Amino acid sequence: MKASSQTDSRILLGTIAVLLACASGAGAYTVNLTPKNPRTIYLQVGVGTFTGGNYQQGGSPATNPLVNLVSVTVPAAQVGNGTAQTMTTNSTASQSLYDSFAFCNLPNQLYVGGFYRSTNGSAGSATATLVANVPASLVSAGGRTIPFSQISWTSSGNGDAGGQPFPGGTFVAGGTQTIGTINRNEWAESCHTFSYSNAAVAPAGTYTGRVTYTLSAP
Amino acid sequence: MASVHATLVLASSLTVGLAAVADAATYRVDDSGSLPQGPTAELQWREPVPSRRGDDTLEGTLVVLMRLNVGPWLNRVGRLYLVLPEQAAPLVRLSWRAQGRFLPGQAVPGQRVLVYEGPVSTPWIEERLELGIEASGSRLEGMQPLTFHFEIDVD
Repeated sequence: MKASSQTDSRILLGTIAVLLACASGAGAYTVNLTPKNPRTIYLQVGVGTFTGGNYQQGGSPATNPLVNLVSVTVPAAQVGNGTAQTMTTNSTASQSLYDSFAFCNLPNQLYVGGFYRSTNGSAGSATATLVANVPASLVSAGGRTIPFSQISWTSSGNGDAGGQPFPGGTFVAGGTQTIGTINRNEWAESCHTFSYSNAAVAPAGTYTGRVTYTLSAP
Repeated sequence: MASVHATLVLASSLTVGLAAVADAATYRVDDSGSLPQGPTAELQWREPVPSRRGDDTLEGTLVVLMRLNVGPWLNRVGRLYLVLPEQAAPLVRLSWRAQGRFLPGQAVPGQRVLVYEGPVSTPWIEERLELGIEASGSRLEGMQPLTFHFEIDVD
């Protein structure tokens, strides 16, 4: 009987030892989280391309080398009279490539949109910035010029209320100017309606110039 | 006399031990024997393209072979919980699927979710958990840890 008691006690002491070991060994399980290839940027001015349909349909952004034209023909009787002339575009992009929503009204509006994908740790930039590199002038075949500063735009979008990510403005001739920003992990889009101020008499001719838009996230 | 004294001490230990085991309470479970299938969970955008109103969800999966030491509560009835404390990492949601003994479930930081209820019939519970992890990409600062642990309530 005594021998039996001693055996039970040893078992119990063993149990106590296990309990103490558990108390000291219980810890949190840790998994490391890391983002993988998360940084993406996309810009579309005028016509853009998503292969396989819009994004909601499973499409993916792709490169489109097309450069769209925004133009106006000023009637001879109105040249330089100070009445602004609404410009039109040859862009066929009226729908957002996110979901095919009819966002812009052709031919008066040029679609400007894109998105910015980034984690907080990628580069620290909370926004991507859209800038326009603007020549000093539009130039005719005969070398005549019209300052780019005579072209302005308003900004809107069907169904939008409030501010636009790419608000209205006027080109800064011969400079690089900020057009707007895209917040991290957002799709942003606006429709720009351009107008020529028609404030100065210019000799007859076709005046052209190219503005280059660049979206960047440092 | 010496022999009697030793017996009394052992008997005393027996009483203390029984009291500790018998109390209905919550205990943290030793999970130090668990192993991840990989060192990190690589998270990717749930949607490669964000929406207009913003969408920054990153997601990923990781398989973990959990090995929980429930020996201290052997032959008792208990409820085992996965505890997801508040995290330094911008975790949005943790979900899991199991292969049998554990209940599937999900938790947000600060929650405690039941994964098993019943008798503790073996000293170890082993379970393969497939973790689904959702985090806020806008707030994820490179590599960050996600921690969780298990607790048991015993009757």
